[in-house]
Amino acid sequence: METEKKAIEKEQSTTRKSTSPEKFEPKIVAFMCNWCSYSGADLAGVSRVQSSPNVRIIRTMCSGRVDPSFIVRAFQLGADGVLVAGCHFGDCHYIEGNFKTMRRVKMMKMVLDHFGIDEKRLRLEWISASEAEKYAQVSFEFTETLKELGPLKLRNN
Amino acid sequence: MNNDRKIGVYVCHCGVNISQTVRVDEVAEALKSNPNVVVSKSYKFMCSDPGQKMIQDDIKAQGLNRIVVAACSPHMHELTFRDACERAGLNRYLFQMSNIREHCAWVHEDIDKATLKAHALVNAAVHRVEHQEELSTMKAKIHPDTLIVGSGIAGIQAALEIAESGNNVYLVEKESTIGGQMAKFDKTFPTLDCSACILTPKMVSVSHKKNIKMMTMSEVEDVSGYIGNFKAKIRTRARFVTDKCTSCGECSDVCPVNVPNWFDEFTQDRHSIHKAFPQAVPNTYVIDRQEKPPCIEACPIRQEAAGYVALIREGRFHEAAQLIHQRNPLAVVCGRVCYHPCESECNRGHVDKPLAIQQLKRFALDWEIEHNGKFEVPKIETKRYEKVAVIGSGPSGLTCAHDLAMKGYKVTVYEQHSIPGGMLAIGIPEYRLPKKLLAMEINYFKAMGIDIRTNMKLGYDITINGLFQSGFIAIFLAVGAQDSLKIGIPGESAKGIIGGVDFLRKVNIGIQQELGKSVAVIGGGNTAIDAARTALRMGSKKVTILYRRTKNEMPASPEEIADAEAEGVNISFLTAPTEVLVDDNSKVKGLKCIRMKLGEPDSSGRRRPVPVTSSEHDLEFSTVIVAVSQAPNLVGLNGDSGVNLKTTKWNTIQANPETLQTNDERIFAGGDLVLGPSTIIASMGQGRRAAESIDKYINNQPLENYSTHIVKSDVLRGESFRPHTYAPTYKETPKKEREEVPKIDAKGRVINFEEVEIGFTEEQAVNEASRCLNCGVCVECHECERVCEPNAIDYNMQDKVTEVDVGQIIVATGYDLFDASKLVPFGYGRLKNVYNSLEFERILSSTGPTGGRVLLENGQEPRAVGIIHCVGSRDSNFHKYCSRVCCMYSMKFAHLVKDRTKAEVYQFYIDIRAYGKGYEEFYSRILDEGVNVIRGKVAEVVERKAGEGDKFLAVKCEDTLIGKFREIPVDMVILCNALQPNKATDKLAKILSLSKSPDGFLLEKHPKLDPFSTVSDGIYLAGCAQGPKDIPDTVSQASGAAARALSIISKGEVDIDPIRAFIDENYCAGCRICNNLCPYGAIDFLDEEKLSVVNEALCKGCGTCVAACPAGAITGMGFSDAQIYAELEGILEV
Amino acid sequence: MAKPKLALYWAASCGGCEITVVDIEEKILDVADFFDIVFWPCVMDFKYSDVEAMEDDEIDITLFNGSIRTSENEYMAKLLRDKSKILIAFGSCAHEGCIPGLSNFYDKQSTFDYVYNESPSLEDESKNVFPQTETEMPEGKIEIPEFYDTVKTLDQTVDVNYYIPGCPPQSFQVIAVIEAVIDILTTGKPLPPKGAVLGATDKTCCDECPRERKEKKIKEFFRPHEIIPKEDECLLDQGILCLGPATRGGCSALCVQANIPCRGCYGAPANVKDQGAKMVSALSSVIDASTPEEVRKIMDKIADPLGTFYRFSLAASTFRRVQ
Repeated sequence: METEKKAIEKEQSTTRKSTSPEKFEPKIVAFMCNWCSYSGADLAGVSRVQSSPNVRIIRTMCSGRVDPSFIVRAFQLGADGVLVAGCHFGDCHYIEGNFKTMRRVKMMKMVLDHFGIDEKRLRLEWISASEAEKYAQVSFEFTETLKELGPLKLRNN
Repeated sequence: MNNDRKIGVYVCHCGVNISQTVRVDEVAEALKSNPNVVVSKSYKFMCSDPGQKMIQDDIKAQGLNRIVVAACSPHMHELTFRDACERAGLNRYLFQMSNIREHCAWVHEDIDKATLKAHALVNAAVHRVEHQEELSTMKAKIHPDTLIVGSGIAGIQAALEIAESGNNVYLVEKESTIGGQMAKFDKTFPTLDCSACILTPKMVSVSHKKNIKMMTMSEVEDVSGYIGNFKAKIRTRARFVTDKCTSCGECSDVCPVNVPNWFDEFTQDRHSIHKAFPQAVPNTYVIDRQEKPPCIEACPIRQEAAGYVALIREGRFHEAAQLIHQRNPLAVVCGRVCYHPCESECNRGHVDKPLAIQQLKRFALDWEIEHNGKFEVPKIETKRYEKVAVIGSGPSGLTCAHDLAMKGYKVTVYEQHSIPGGMLAIGIPEYRLPKKLLAMEINYFKAMGIDIRTNMKLGYDITINGLFQSGFIAIFLAVGAQDSLKIGIPGESAKGIIGGVDFLRKVNIGIQQELGKSVAVIGGGNTAIDAARTALRMGSKKVTILYRRTKNEMPASPEEIADAEAEGVNISFLTAPTEVLVDDNSKVKGLKCIRMKLGEPDSSGRRRPVPVTSSEHDLEFSTVIVAVSQAPNLVGLNGDSGVNLKTTKWNTIQANPETLQTNDERIFAGGDLVLGPSTIIASMGQGRRAAESIDKYINNQPLENYSTHIVKSDVLRGESFRPHTYAPTYKETPKKEREEVPKIDAKGRVINFEEVEIGFTEEQAVNEASRCLNCGVCVECHECERVCEPNAIDYNMQDKVTEVDVGQIIVATGYDLFDASKLVPFGYGRLKNVYNSLEFERILSSTGPTGGRVLLENGQEPRAVGIIHCVGSRDSNFHKYCSRVCCMYSMKFAHLVKDRTKAEVYQFYIDIRAYGKGYEEFYSRILDEGVNVIRGKVAEVVERKAGEGDKFLAVKCEDTLIGKFREIPVDMVILCNALQPNKATDKLAKILSLSKSPDGFLLEKHPKLDPFSTVSDGIYLAGCAQGPKDIPDTVSQASGAAARALSIISKGEVDIDPIRAFIDENYCAGCRICNNLCPYGAIDFLDEEKLSVVNEALCKGCGTCVAACPAGAITGMGFSDAQIYAELEGILEV
Repeated sequence: MAKPKLALYWAASCGGCEITVVDIEEKILDVADFFDIVFWPCVMDFKYSDVEAMEDDEIDITLFNGSIRTSENEYMAKLLRDKSKILIAFGSCAHEGCIPGLSNFYDKQSTFDYVYNESPSLEDESKNVFPQTETEMPEGKIEIPEFYDTVKTLDQTVDVNYYIPGCPPQSFQVIAVIEAVIDILTTGKPLPPKGAVLGATDKTCCDECPRERKEKKIKEFFRPHEIIPKEDECLLDQGILCLGPATRGGCSALCVQANIPCRGCYGAPANVKDQGAKMVSALSSVIDASTPEEVRKIMDKIADPLGTFYRFSLAASTFRRVQ
């Protein structure tokens, strides 16, 4: 419960930090599968394809590892958006992990919606190891979307 | 918060790679605020020795128990640092890497933002590492065998390297020979040595190496497992030639089929049975048999229609006749009166009209009879003492007798009538099947030693029991269906009423018939038509067929109907008799008829005729022939005590449709007796099947795995099909008129029983035969079989699937050529004398279409040749990349053209890339030879006329060096097509779950440090599968990949990260949510304990089950919830 | 030696938890006899002032049920925290917010608007009369507690030592806990670690569920009235949305044994932070859908997903309330 409290304080402090209206910089957590998307982001690096600095990547072996609990936790901790990226259908290194991801994210979007959180704050993308440009483009697009939506302020009072 | 943690944080400058966009010291400083961080520094090159040493020293000196390095991607240096930790005695999994180069420094410009993000990423790693725990690596035993996919120079090189070390290799190749693209080349740059001379020795030594298992015509279908322990499923297509083949080539010489040869890039033809090229390895021929021709499959006795058609096309009439007769003992009959299902199934029907297969068959046989008299009676090797009786000498009886006799049995055929042949003899009128021909066929059976006894009626002259008592061991019952059925109307027993079959029989055996002037024939089948036409020939002036439906429903074959009408038979449709009108001395004088109309379709799908009320009318007839249908006569069986065969409600014998065995195991039955009134060919099919059954029965073999054919209904194939892969679609196929068979004109023929159809002339036959589409390429003419001395041909060979265990896999699937026809302006596929590079390689090759001479389509030497570079490569519309080999081989082309012709050569290039050893020298040598080089991309190639019949090609381009637009006249254009990923690569990438780089080639682990590994351990790349390469690079990479594989093999085992799922039984309640999530079936459910458990060996650590477990009972080792939550806290704290 | 002092209090709750205490039957006598009950408004007459008058930590154990809805709830939570050595969140409301927590779908304003204006049971004249925290009357000032926007759990308000989950906690579990406590207090055994969940198991509800379970592939969800579930087959396998897999065990699977799916009153399992999100993760893993559209189709059969996945734990969930 201690960490819980800390978390919320952090969350509030960070949202405060980022609420200066003129230049709001959204925080985006990106869960990326080791084989396709993470490597795609690596390729972006190697080929110097510029991407949005608002995106902070967390590596999982498969996008199927991404538990909706992580997503809600990310929002709670001050993320304005969460990106989940995996291999294209048929390319999954673990054959069909990405199907579960698709189902989880879709279902979670609906739950977020019920929570009154714009489901656009959760984004699912298939990015292969060769799609450096796609990763870059998604990162910018998503950052834009979130700038339009503004910071996610969670009410806890 | 874990207070015993002592964390060391190391932020790497990576020279300036990171430090130029991330203030690394600031990041290192910021991390110190975390109470668990004991050390936090930045350093120029963490991956360098001093860098690693720094970590090791700190671990020892400061007792660090967790390490974070913020540098490049973990895919790059995670192992490096884990090893470093291990060297300092720290468990390698207490290390966490933070990617601030690829994911941060390299992709951001704003230094503040980049620094903030870097801080967040490192902070995440620090939080995460707090929760990381000691893990121990798992060991995987390495299976010493290696699978190599693709047998071009890359695959061959790798295979030889590995085999050399004494380890086993499976070399899988989808084509019929190894060698790949290199085998197609004539010379190789820059040394100009002959490609074959350097490649073929390697190919041969592959075939000689005991420990290389060459699998040609094979493709990998599925691969499971992990490094050291792969299981690969490999499908090998049937070659139809066994390794007995001595490669003498006799077979190819007699093969009547020609198709373009893929190996020659379709610049020249080959036969269906072929060898890709003279030095092919394995040195075994192969039959290109893509699917079985529908005409053959549609035939109940599997007569090789396509085969004899092809032979006739080649003018080899004798062979055609032999082929027909081998399979079909009643060939001559079939040539005339067969129902020919082959024509109904003929694919040519999708283009215009089906082939006149039956007429072609008749032609071949007539030709044979005319030129060689009768047919050779085959020598029967085996002699058997068993006696078999065949009752009934119709098509099924005779076929059965024939096949049994061929197997050596003593066969006796009993026929109730005075002449043998069953319906053939008594049912079919002379004008369709001349008696002398039937007699000839019958004599053939007799000559085979078959004892045919006429006037032996079952139940009168012979009995089943009697036959068994007199030593017959099995009986084939085929007495047919010869009883004409009555219609069942009043007065049907009157004088002057006769059954159709009875009428025809009487005529056939020469009993005089008194018909009177007007004859009615009731019925719509062939029997009715035969009866009507016969009646005409018997002199009746007026013959009328009464049929209750319309022409469309008429079962008789259309040609017959047409002929009948031509001869003056009048058919009154929708008319049914209701009563026979008789005169005082109970002789028929006419019929009371009623008009019908078509109602709802009945079970047979034909619309049921229903009477039109008050439409009765009387018609006058002197004779009425009732030819509605026939049924078997089973009276003969009744006499037999102890024999009671099951029958059906149609009064036919019940026999197992597969085996034709009756309920009395010694007795088999077939033909009309089982099928009811049916066709000649169907009955023959049954005779053939029965013979095989009887043979099995006599040899006490189970009645199964038959070699004889039963027609499947799915023979039918839609219009979308091509006859074979090299053939145009039905739409594209040019139409060609079907030859019509000449006939005696209608007036002339009704006066006698002369055969109506005269048959094709040789010219007509060849003409008609050339309409055949060669469905499935091989036409089963068995010519190769005939000439093959070592008997290497095996038509029954099947595809087979082998499963192999291998430790590692090398992918060497090579490249395809870019399809230049996509670049329309260059005219490829449109203009004559425009070739792609591989086609030109074949033209240059001594085994190619021109035997190595550079010639135009018209056979003349070109006056000038244009070579266009970068076709499809370095082109944003197609492939951005440079194909790397074109500049050099185009120089080679230039040299060879100059060397072999007097032609001028023009090179149209963008940049010349001569980067390899000896390449630049080669380039300048070619320039000295006087080749013209024009710098500029070609806009268009067009055809121009220079006076009478002199066409040439004009290459339009901008010469960027002189800044002028130019148009260069040439006779031949050679396109240097881009190299692009092989079609097979995509499929394989999926099977092996390999990634591809943006250019579509397979993605290597690291472009510089590890160009021959993939991210999947144990799978390596060699040659153009990874990217365009010349031969030297390919060979080096192949050797590299082989070396990598060998080093692992010699280690015997490898470490694998223990990234696995683990189920804590203290929390698992066995809800089974996770059970079917695992694609590898690694999760088992224990019913006893009501627990799920993970099988470590099968688990690959994806973590899907971890995420799913609602009880939180599954831990993802290396990626636990705690670790990821901590990472989240860290990443969002900043 | 003096008897250990025991206090029981109810905040925003239905009183069911009080009943459970009474449901322990004659065991109540041992309680009365072992403990000195110093505060139990529901049963005996005490005043808040009696508690206020106590020394800090004077009370040995306080069983606090009910969630924090009003300023009064909050005041008493803080007060009892100060006065108690051990504060136990007793029952689902104190533990996770429970049914009162579902009002976190709304806020104070919308709740008042409905209750004091839109509610069909209101007489016209009594409409739009909203409660005031202070009202001046001839007799003097009337004060009533402030109604908060968001319902909180006990541990979101004060520090809590232990939890006893359940709506209500099962009496046999209450007995077990009481016996354990008595044992500890008499023998001086060590206390369980702070934050421990008492009167429940570490496994999920499925562990106590007698039904037979198969590998799961759910094509369609049914509400209990739509089908007649088979007695001995896992309800989830039959397409009835049962929260058992994501719910802490300890209730002996009462509901499922009555052919009713588990609704999750014992709260998130030991290692799970957010019961609802976890259930989403589990369900989405086993539904038979290969496109987002199919997922929606299946989801649409779940009436009120949030109220289903978070029926008892909305207030304790990561988001705590609808935003």
